[in-house]
Amino acid sequence: MSKPIIVCSDLSFVYKDSKKPALKNVSFTISEGEFVGIIGPTGAGKSTLCWAINGVIPQIMQGKLKGSVEVKGKPSNKTPVDEISQIIGIVQQDAEAQLLMTDIEKEIVFPLENLSLPREEIHRRLEYVINLVNLDEERYRHPFYLSGGQKQRVAVAAALAMEPEVLILDEATSELDPVGAEEIHELAGRLKKEGKTIIMVEHNIDELAKHADRIIVMNQGEILRDGDAHEILTDVNFLQSLGIYPPQVTQTAFHLREAGWQFERLPLNLVEATQSISALRKSQ
Amino acid sequence: MSEAIIKVENLCFQYPGRSVNALQDVNLEIAEGEFVALIGQNGSGKTTLIKHFNGLLKPSKGKVFVKGKDTTSLRTAELARSIGYVFQNPDHQIFAETVRDEIAFGPKNLGFSEERINSEIERVLKEMDLDVDLDEMPFQLSRGQRQRLAVASVLAMEPSILIIDEPTTGQDWKESILLMNLVQNLNDKGHTCIVTTHNMNLVSLFARRVIVMKSGNIFLDGATQDVFRREEELLTAGIKAPDVYLLARSLIPQVQLGKPLTPQRLAELLNTQSNLG
Repeated sequence: MSKPIIVCSDLSFVYKDSKKPALKNVSFTISEGEFVGIIGPTGAGKSTLCWAINGVIPQIMQGKLKGSVEVKGKPSNKTPVDEISQIIGIVQQDAEAQLLMTDIEKEIVFPLENLSLPREEIHRRLEYVINLVNLDEERYRHPFYLSGGQKQRVAVAAALAMEPEVLILDEATSELDPVGAEEIHELAGRLKKEGKTIIMVEHNIDELAKHADRIIVMNQGEILRDGDAHEILTDVNFLQSLGIYPPQVTQTAFHLREAGWQFERLPLNLVEATQSISALRKSQ
Repeated sequence: MSEAIIKVENLCFQYPGRSVNALQDVNLEIAEGEFVALIGQNGSGKTTLIKHFNGLLKPSKGKVFVKGKDTTSLRTAELARSIGYVFQNPDHQIFAETVRDEIAFGPKNLGFSEERINSEIERVLKEMDLDVDLDEMPFQLSRGQRQRLAVASVLAMEPSILIIDEPTTGQDWKESILLMNLVQNLNDKGHTCIVTTHNMNLVSLFARRVIVMKSGNIFLDGATQDVFRREEELLTAGIKAPDVYLLARSLIPQVQLGKPLTPQRLAELLNTQSNLG
């Protein structure tokens, strides 16, 4: 078992001027190298949880916090946010709001200069991330002229240049067209293979199903389920009871099973579905 | 086919200071009562096109007709009578102090009589199944109620065309479905509905016609089930067909779909096939 990197213990949080807790007794441990998807309806507390992990809650957004979050053993409510940001990078829904420089290269280099890193190190990191997100040829373009997907990739590159061990993507694909969203998911999958820990808050279950190995389901500030991605994402009745749309291929197999088709387990992606349905058709 | 309620002829549009046309020779007809999804990559021209329907933009070249009238001859307020625009987030739209004022605002601006406004309020509250006090503050309503109030205040202007711009933003699947069900009900009553979205699952559940935009032009236009079967072409426009279509293509390529595909319908088709075989 690999080392724990985020340990959340009995965490509760109430925003200032609010009565209803945004998080209620949330506990989990995320280990190095895991790819965790967080799903749930709006108001479930998903973004609140992300902010509690990187210390923005309670240090910048205030409220009443109980329990604890530890990031590599450091308490996130007391460790300066800029120190945590070197361990945890976060990309949010509206990347445009995060971009402030006049070209992509500057956007990536600026925070590194603020860390007073040596020139060669800045150059090395820049070249690495700009190639990783496939924006090498666009490097001198103004972010304004980029597509939505490219802007999100710039935001991801800027976050990765800090060399965080954990990357949090908080609905980072929700404003992208389907191909732009797929690009971000593929990138997240590649980062996982390189050993990064990925936490992805996501409504797009079809895409999430491709790379996540663990799913945390939240509702009204609580964790409802936490476990194997395949098991949770193929639980059609459970997801639908929360108003979540399960992968279409899983739903198709679910209906076939109700009509008597005997699946060993419900498929989660297109390849699995094609194989298992073809096999069952032949055997009939 | 009934008469075109929206007609676009050789439309070109260039934003000031840009060298490339945002719309390049677009031709299009939408008939009364259609349910159309307008899809395409970020930057493909969807929003620019829609802004020509409600008159917020006027063509650089070409013509746009709404109900047979050239939009350059109409003021935006006059167009508002024909075209209702539903914001993605009700809280971006709602601004009044009371439910009554919120609904009355549009009709008042259109010069409806006091009497007519009151009957409109009664009508749209009933139509949207909103059982609320007229003096209530909109922000004290539940989110679902605010959504229905937002649609109600658009309906009070009796627009025959409804434009719904990205019903998924800031909302989860359940909330998006609630809004789309409202839109479906209105379509059943004869309103023409145009929705723009990146969510192809929503498109395949609701739209009967799909228009795909690419680089300022119409790239594909046809029945939902036909457009989603052209997966390679769609990919070049930044669109991925929903997984049920990809699954259908590899398992039952020969079957004529006839209507849009849902997981349940694909399961039925597969089941019938295997019983026959």
